[in-house]
Amino acid sequence: MPEDHARSAPAARAPAAPDSAAPASAGTAPALAMVAVSKAFGGKTVLDAVDFALAPGEVHALLGENGAGKSTLMNILTGIYAADSGRIEIDGAPVAIRGPSDALRLGIGMVHQHFRLVGTFTGLENIRLAAGGREGVPVGAALGERVEAIAAQTGLEAPLGVPVARLSVAERQRIEILKALALGARLLVLDEPTAVLTDDEAERLLALVRRLAADGLPIVLITHKLREVMQAADRVSTLRQGRLVMAARPVAEVDPDGLARAMTGDLAGAPAIRQARPAPGAAILGLAGLHVGGDGRVGVEAVDLAVRAGTIVGIAGVGGNGQQPLAEAIVGLRPVAAGAIRLDGDDLAGASVRARRDRGLRYIPADRAAFALADGLTVKDNLAAGDVGAGRTGRVMVPSGRLARLAAERIAAYAIAGASPERPVRLLSGGNAQKVVLARELDAEARLVIAHSPTRGLDVAACRYVHARLVEAADRGAAVLLISEDLEEIMALADEIHVMSRGRLATTPDGRPDRTAIGAMMLGHA
Amino acid sequence: MLDGVVLERRQGVGRGRQAAVFAGSIALGLALSAGVLVAAGVPAGALFDEIVVQVFFTASGLAQTITMATPMVLLGLSAALALKHRFWNIGIEGQMILGAVAATAVAVGGVGGAGMRPAMMLIAAALAGLAWIAVPLVLKAVFEVSEVVVTLLLSSIAFLGLQHLLFGPMGDPARNFPVSPVIDEVARLPLFGFGDVHAGLVVALAAALAVAVLVDRSRPGFFGRFVGDNPSAARALGFPVVATTALFVLLSGALAGLAGGLVIAGTEHRLSQYVALHATFSGIVVAVLARYSALGCVVAAFFVAGVYVAGSTLKVFYGLPEGVILLVQGVVLLTLIGGQFLALFRVHREARPAPAPALPASTERAA
Repeated sequence: MPEDHARSAPAARAPAAPDSAAPASAGTAPALAMVAVSKAFGGKTVLDAVDFALAPGEVHALLGENGAGKSTLMNILTGIYAADSGRIEIDGAPVAIRGPSDALRLGIGMVHQHFRLVGTFTGLENIRLAAGGREGVPVGAALGERVEAIAAQTGLEAPLGVPVARLSVAERQRIEILKALALGARLLVLDEPTAVLTDDEAERLLALVRRLAADGLPIVLITHKLREVMQAADRVSTLRQGRLVMAARPVAEVDPDGLARAMTGDLAGAPAIRQARPAPGAAILGLAGLHVGGDGRVGVEAVDLAVRAGTIVGIAGVGGNGQQPLAEAIVGLRPVAAGAIRLDGDDLAGASVRARRDRGLRYIPADRAAFALADGLTVKDNLAAGDVGAGRTGRVMVPSGRLARLAAERIAAYAIAGASPERPVRLLSGGNAQKVVLARELDAEARLVIAHSPTRGLDVAACRYVHARLVEAADRGAAVLLISEDLEEIMALADEIHVMSRGRLATTPDGRPDRTAIGAMMLGHA
Repeated sequence: MLDGVVLERRQGVGRGRQAAVFAGSIALGLALSAGVLVAAGVPAGALFDEIVVQVFFTASGLAQTITMATPMVLLGLSAALALKHRFWNIGIEGQMILGAVAATAVAVGGVGGAGMRPAMMLIAAALAGLAWIAVPLVLKAVFEVSEVVVTLLLSSIAFLGLQHLLFGPMGDPARNFPVSPVIDEVARLPLFGFGDVHAGLVVALAAALAVAVLVDRSRPGFFGRFVGDNPSAARALGFPVVATTALFVLLSGALAGLAGGLVIAGTEHRLSQYVALHATFSGIVVAVLARYSALGCVVAAFFVAGVYVAGSTLKVFYGLPEGVILLVQGVVLLTLIGGQFLALFRVHREARPAPAPALPASTERAA
């Protein structure tokens, strides 16, 4: 429980983080200062006047849910995006970062979550490739010597002469860090570095982070794992929906509960869309001891769940914790390793996607462009795909008049702006493309709806619209499984809330955990 | 040098713009071709007469063009069906050879009653082409072997097999050339009395119509559109992705085989080494010009056949090498494809390195 953690965590950190390494006193210029940085994408503000400073030799954790703006802030720092306003200073001097090469020249080193390495090249060759003629970076044998010197000095052990594809994830990550250092990084940004590591490897990495910082290298640690903040960071800043809600607080002064609340926000602000909660009907979807492989990433581990007719069951959690394998297994796109998926009590083992859809299963995938829409085809074809697949428009031929009527009806019913039946879906906005998916999937025959991040990337109005339609489907008697990283959405819609972390589901006995409990479960220690 | 050059996909391309770009590309292609031909020694003044008048506006030229276009319609359909459904059939030539061999074998072997002979030949030809493409289809479906390599290599195998047959068991014992004996009158498709134009034209047009209906109006065609555009979505919608691909790929092979049968039963009347020369190239050219539309293949085949006929005239009268004819076709094709690209994208320069064009969705995901 969080209470226990509050007491144990600082103690665990103590030996590695002497308090003397903590933030520099006022007077010395910070290694990095980002001041009042704002950024909007297509009218949607993702960063709202955010300040962020990095003192020499500190580990500064940047905490926040998915979509809070952490990556956007760091992408501005590394020159991938340009800020709309605000300024960046390094060692007190204002700098202009117009592109990734500017950031590199200024000594900003970034280790991305998805490594940027060429698999067939060795570690050293990858570093050589990235170094390619940069000012101040040695060439030829001198570069190799420099890399080895850095490796020896920092204890970054990684085989440099072996093709990267043959190395473990942790080894590749160390090569990425070596690469950043060899290219002259004066500060390091680690984007969720432990997400891909095992627990032991994560421990090693955090120890390395402490060591590097102690040697004077300031480090930004992007994470949403509370434990890591408590263990490895000197200060912590927390972003929520593009705003800085906790600015550079010394870790010693915060407790995990406070951090979790800062990250997820207060309950008071949540709009409760679904007030009337009808008496639940029979269980439509049942998962029993379900295990699903994750293709090298987190899969599904021993999940039990029931979704009853007329209810919305929410699964909250940070992406990549097994949500995608869970959704795909239920839909029939991914094999079940063990356990059972039941629809109306019947085991679906071996049932095709077609058979499942014929029994009323519908799917709103997280990535609609990849799994729901054929965007080169017309709105008409995309709207009719469910009916044509089921053979409702004819077994052999597809009457074009009937398709056009169907399309016109659905465009009107869902107010899909800018959609004439013959236009390609590619030309629709995200919100309207999602409406096409909804109009098709939430038809009268829908009995079980798997909605995975159904509002990702949509504006506020479109979000509300999607929510209303999901509630409507549940009110009509469908069972809705809502898998989402958006906690507001889950809190507002779901009758019962579970949290997915490392492939497992957790909840409270009443099935209605509050924000603090959800935050704690998301962070994997409940 | 290319710093700051940005390609931007146009939001919606009007029909007028498309037509203008299409006409412009053809004009440019023909102008460049004219340059090539003049450089190769054709008098500039004779170009229009040789290419346009002789090929499309004289009875004998028109008949020749139509005869030439007949199998090309089928080759274009073959290429279009495979490419549209994400199957790179680079072995149309091989499938056509198999079709021609099968048709010749049926004719020489006297299979079926006399009245049924041409029909039997065409059916055998289609089945042979289908069987030849079934090999890469199965290899791809079961072992994920690239069909590009397999179809290409099977073309060479088919060609070597054809040579073996012509120099051996199917060769004409009365002649020294590697050709089969000429097939009987009863095995030939009836002529319409307009040059060499034969009943195969009806077969080709009917095939184009049937493919158009299948692709645009049938349920398998609907599935095929999804498989071609986004196979992952097709799978998530529960569409029969494998069966749909198999249907259209097998049909692609059958149409190529049928083209081989038409050439034997309709024009050549005997098997030679050159029966399927450039079949893959022609098929893909026709399919691309038609933008994979079945009825478009009829128009495109007529156009490409015209280029071929003009080419052979030029070859005879001006002694141009085969390569020049292929060059002209390539030039026209390239300008058309380039034109399509410009119709879809806008090229412009940005003053400074552009921030990655990101939607909120993609940043959220990375956050």
